[in-house]
Amino acid sequence: MVDQQFEPKIVGFLCRWCSYTGADLAGTSRMQYPPNLAAIRVMCSGRVDPTFVVKALQDGADGVLIAGCHPGDCHYSEGNYKAMRRYPMLLNLLDQFGIDRRRVRLEWISASEGEMFARVVSEFTQQLKTLGPLRWPHTIEQFCSPA
Amino acid sequence: MIRLADCGAVGRLCAELNRDKPKIEILVSRGTCGTSRGADRLVEAVQTALNKAGTNGNVRLRVTGCLGYCDIEPIVIVRPAGFFYPQPKPDDAAEIVQQGLLGKSVPRLFMEDPNTGKPIETVSDVPFYKHQNRVIFGANFDLDPTSIDDFVRIGGYQALAKVLSEMTPEKVIDEVTRSGLRGRGGAGFPTGVKWASCRKAKGQLKYVVCNADEGDPGAYANRGLLEGNPHSVIEGMAIGAWAVGASQGYVYVRTEYPLAVELMSRAVQEARAAGLLGKNILGSGFAFDIHINRGGGAFVCGESTALMASIEGHVGEPRAKHIHTVESGLWQAPTTLNNVETWANIPHIINRGAQWFTQIGTGDVTGNPWGGSKGTKIFSLVGKVNHTGLVEVPMGITLRKVIFDIGGGIKNGKKFKGVQTGGPSGGVLSEKHLDLPIDYDELVEAGSMMGSGGMIVMDEDNCMVDFARFFLSFLEDESCGKCTPCREGVVQMRQILTDICQGKAKEGDIELLHDLAEVVSESSLCQLGATAPNPVLTTLAYFKDEYDAHVRDHKCPAGVCKALTTYRIDWEACTGCGVCFKNCPSDAIRGEKKQPHEIQVDRCTKCGVCYDSCKFNAVRRN
Amino acid sequence: MIQLTIDGKKVSVEPGQTVLDAAREGNIPIPTLCSHESLIPYGACRLCIVEVRHRNKTRLLASCTLPAAEGMEVTTNSEKVIRTRRMLAELLLARCPESKAIRNIAAQLGVEKTRFGKPHLKDNSAIVGTDGCILCGMCVRVCNDILKIGALGFEGRGASRRVVTPFEKPSEVCLSCGACSFVCPTGAIEHHRIRLHKPEPIPAEFEYGMVNRKPINIPFPQAVPRVPVIDPDTCMNFRTGGCKICEDNCGVHAIDHAQQEKIEQVEVGAIIVATGFELFDSRKLGRYGYGKLDNVLHALEFERMSHASGPTGGKILTKNGQPPKAVAILHCIGSRDENTNEYCSRVCCMYSLKFAHLVKEKTNAEVYNLYIDMRAFGKGYEEFYKRILGEGVHFIRGKCAEVTSAARTPEEKGKLIVVAEDTLLGMTRRLPVDMVILSAGLIPGKDSDKLGRILGISCSQGGFFLEKHPKLAPVDAINDGIFFAGACQGPKDIPDAVAQGAAAAAGALSLIDKGKVVLEPITAEIDEKRCAGCQLCVANCPYGAIEYNKEKKISIVTEELCKGCGTCVAGCPSGAARQKNFEDVQILAEIEGILTAS
Repeated sequence: MVDQQFEPKIVGFLCRWCSYTGADLAGTSRMQYPPNLAAIRVMCSGRVDPTFVVKALQDGADGVLIAGCHPGDCHYSEGNYKAMRRYPMLLNLLDQFGIDRRRVRLEWISASEGEMFARVVSEFTQQLKTLGPLRWPHTIEQFCSPA
Repeated sequence: MIRLADCGAVGRLCAELNRDKPKIEILVSRGTCGTSRGADRLVEAVQTALNKAGTNGNVRLRVTGCLGYCDIEPIVIVRPAGFFYPQPKPDDAAEIVQQGLLGKSVPRLFMEDPNTGKPIETVSDVPFYKHQNRVIFGANFDLDPTSIDDFVRIGGYQALAKVLSEMTPEKVIDEVTRSGLRGRGGAGFPTGVKWASCRKAKGQLKYVVCNADEGDPGAYANRGLLEGNPHSVIEGMAIGAWAVGASQGYVYVRTEYPLAVELMSRAVQEARAAGLLGKNILGSGFAFDIHINRGGGAFVCGESTALMASIEGHVGEPRAKHIHTVESGLWQAPTTLNNVETWANIPHIINRGAQWFTQIGTGDVTGNPWGGSKGTKIFSLVGKVNHTGLVEVPMGITLRKVIFDIGGGIKNGKKFKGVQTGGPSGGVLSEKHLDLPIDYDELVEAGSMMGSGGMIVMDEDNCMVDFARFFLSFLEDESCGKCTPCREGVVQMRQILTDICQGKAKEGDIELLHDLAEVVSESSLCQLGATAPNPVLTTLAYFKDEYDAHVRDHKCPAGVCKALTTYRIDWEACTGCGVCFKNCPSDAIRGEKKQPHEIQVDRCTKCGVCYDSCKFNAVRRN
Repeated sequence: MIQLTIDGKKVSVEPGQTVLDAAREGNIPIPTLCSHESLIPYGACRLCIVEVRHRNKTRLLASCTLPAAEGMEVTTNSEKVIRTRRMLAELLLARCPESKAIRNIAAQLGVEKTRFGKPHLKDNSAIVGTDGCILCGMCVRVCNDILKIGALGFEGRGASRRVVTPFEKPSEVCLSCGACSFVCPTGAIEHHRIRLHKPEPIPAEFEYGMVNRKPINIPFPQAVPRVPVIDPDTCMNFRTGGCKICEDNCGVHAIDHAQQEKIEQVEVGAIIVATGFELFDSRKLGRYGYGKLDNVLHALEFERMSHASGPTGGKILTKNGQPPKAVAILHCIGSRDENTNEYCSRVCCMYSLKFAHLVKEKTNAEVYNLYIDMRAFGKGYEEFYKRILGEGVHFIRGKCAEVTSAARTPEEKGKLIVVAEDTLLGMTRRLPVDMVILSAGLIPGKDSDKLGRILGISCSQGGFFLEKHPKLAPVDAINDGIFFAGACQGPKDIPDAVAQGAAAAAGALSLIDKGKVVLEPITAEIDEKRCAGCQLCVANCPYGAIEYNKEKKISIVTEELCKGCGTCVAGCPSGAARQKNFEDVQILAEIEGILTAS
């Protein structure tokens, strides 16, 4: 069941060279996509520390998008490979917290793929709507409060 | 054969081998010509007879190479007396052995002196040998070519030992130069001069080559040497290699000489085993080895550059020789190439000294190696002489002596007409040259050449035009075809000569032939082409009247050219004996017995059998 | 130098040269048939014979093989020499009486007729292979010695000698290079007997195969520098290791086959990418018949054909050499097409108008332009369009459906039929024409993505390079210091390309002028106090910018090498690695900010 009223909050960590430019292109091309994503520009997808993702989820985000250059195209040669390897570990961590893996996505979006950026954001928003709100801070408080 | 470790060992072995000689020796010659006349069966018969007689080491059967007297091969000689049996039957072997063991002869098998009719008993009385000076060929009597011991026993390899132990390369070259030895392959280039240039030439690797590609029709002196005394060639090459600084030798021998190839290969193996070839020859540190290379039979491969191309694996074609082979020959390395006979002369010069060598021959070579012709020369005496064979004579001997004294004169008492020296590209000399002393320069002066020593004698029945045509036709086949004058010129000369022989020649053809011959001679690439016109030029010079008779009178004086010859029977002289009738191969003669016969012109093939067989000179030819 | 006298004239040559070389040096004519500057002297024809004085005697020697020697006295025109040469010419003439080359050389020597008959073998049979071949061996030598192929050789000896391939079968190894017939003095080479494989012509790339070129050529008329190049794929030297005949021919020894391609490293402060475009491959749209039907040309082929330096010298001709009577120009081939490229190639409309004008002007043929929309947007463009309309060119609005040679009516027979819907008339039209020009679109170079990867620049959707900003930075790449010029960034016409080029140059110049580059201060650093010396960052750094200091037992960032990706920061377990301006706290604050704001 999709809760149409629910508007998920998405934090996007976008690589400065590809995905951020791609997002820019989507914007300059006047492409329509949901306004749920708030972008944080990082120099490289390899800069994305898993704690950032956890922090975002903890602070109230319903989903996190990490987007970098296509494999082989990294501006820093291999930063996106580092991200690619960290991602499965992060997913394991999410499992342990009881958080659905589908809330964190890793995508490769190049600078020319504005359209793809728009599509990814739309899809992701739709998916998060299906998954419903995470409400992690409250859950944790419930766990932690000495009832 | 033991391995000879030092130079002195050769002499010691020689002395040892001479200590216990068998008392009686029975020689059977088995060269190529001997073999073709049943020498194998003869040897077998002698061996059987010896086995039967049961000799206790006192008798030795020695199978020698060619003894040079081709007419009567195989020869059996019983030593020490030297009884000489020409061409005995295998059935006679038992008797020869039996009598020989008793020191007696078998008189019925002796040859008859053609002049006196008396029997010739011993080898020293044989006129064919008596007038020769067999310096390098003589050893064939004492040698089993398959036995290196035999060669050492008669003093072989002592020259090599002497060179390696006592002489510097320069001294060897000096000795050879002073001897006045000139190349026996035909051109007569002084051997010492050639060696000196090769020694001087720059190159780590040098080669010596023995030219045994004896392609001249009618010449086989090299074969006789290789089959009779292969070690003398090996010794000569080793000395030459030491002198010029070569480490590898090649013997280029034609495949048509299978026995020579076999014996030479065997001799090389023996010499190698004895330490006379290989890495450390006689302990001197000198390294030299010989490779036998078989030629495919192209005449032009007797030319040095073509020969080398052939060894290298290319088509045997000559190249321009402005850069001499002594500087850049085989595989661009300095190469000394000499004829078999030249190499065989070397040990003798070393052993006996240049001084001795210069005593034989003509001219004065002191200070000028071109000054004369020294030493002996082997000729292959063939054609219309009574005794054919290999003849070794001192340089300077006259043609008359060779042909009449050694060769025993012209067959069937006919008249001498000419002699061709030097193979197909040599020239024809006429009667007026009979007293010409044979040496390099005199022959060239007369328009012929020494060549490899072919000597073909012709009598009155030989047509000189046909003779020239025959040799041109040989050369046409053997021209490599590289340069225009030789390839095209020889064919054209042969065509003109054929026209003349067939009576189709026009006025002016003789002059054209002469002009063409001169151009071919002067402009050809190699010596094959340059000398190819020699048969034409010399016959034109000395037998011009025969050409004129062919062209102008349409007659062949010798009756050889069939198109120009007719036979008829003189009825006055014919007795009707019927001999011609019986002999005619084409049934062209008709006639009743005791009645004059008649030749049917349409059937006659002009073979001349009737002419030769008529005892009454009734068959006439013109 | 060696001094010798030839016909009384003093000539000096280098050591190692032949008397023939010397004579040529002194302009003294000597006839030859078997000599060639690239071949080793052979001495077979003997026509070059000269008289040489040697020890008071004179000898006849072939000058081609005779090395020149100091003080040599040579005569080339004595009676003896002339007599000999004439005799040789007669012999050759007797062998090849029909050969024009032999008749010529004989005539030069004063020989009109030969006294000899045609040579025959002994059995009176004819000699094979005398139809012109004089056995000079040039073909054999060039094939063996120079080209190192060895397809030809001699067979037989003497008069029966012949030039043949092994077993007289067409040769497998023959590369059909044609060197044998090139050197043959009498033109006696029969190719079909030698080669097994048909020679493959080398199409001239710049002329789109409309003409052929040689392995050594000047690639195109405006090449800079305007010097010939050797094509290693077709040059015989690169195939067999032999030949090098061009080296012998070059008077100034400028040819060097040993030259290798080199990779030069140049340190620069700015890069201008101007790699251009490629033309859309019209073969992909089979319905237009390109590559299948004659007289269907693409735009650049027509451009070359109409050019004065082109294969036809500027004449517009169909395959049969006639000017066309009707020409159709099809717009938007590989442009504005969902199946190929969606974008508009911008330049095709205008060049199609130019083509229409050229055809009209040169042939006065009927011209049909089949267009979707006319895009004459530039300065003066619309005026040109109007002018062409006035010249009587037909404009049909509608995209061509197919080009076919299947005629339906007698008028269509032998013509190309262009089938299209005329959307203005609302009917299908069949236009019989003699020539079809496909106005193909512009596509990015086929290795532009490879180049993009090397330079770290991305491509936009069509595959052209992506500029930093479509409006504000249309010349810059995303990376600082890289600029675009021309069609590599997107289809554009010449004025636009020139303008962009000038802008790119200015951009590069501004960097050079400054003399230094301001980097973004986002490098990483490691807090000495917090670093535990685990060296994870050393392994993480793609630039080797982090080194482990053994004394201090910590890792240290070399700032000059650091590009600021921050991978080390993300991977640091102790939080010692930090990225300036992208500090963890900054990003965390950003996250907080984003999430609290909404």
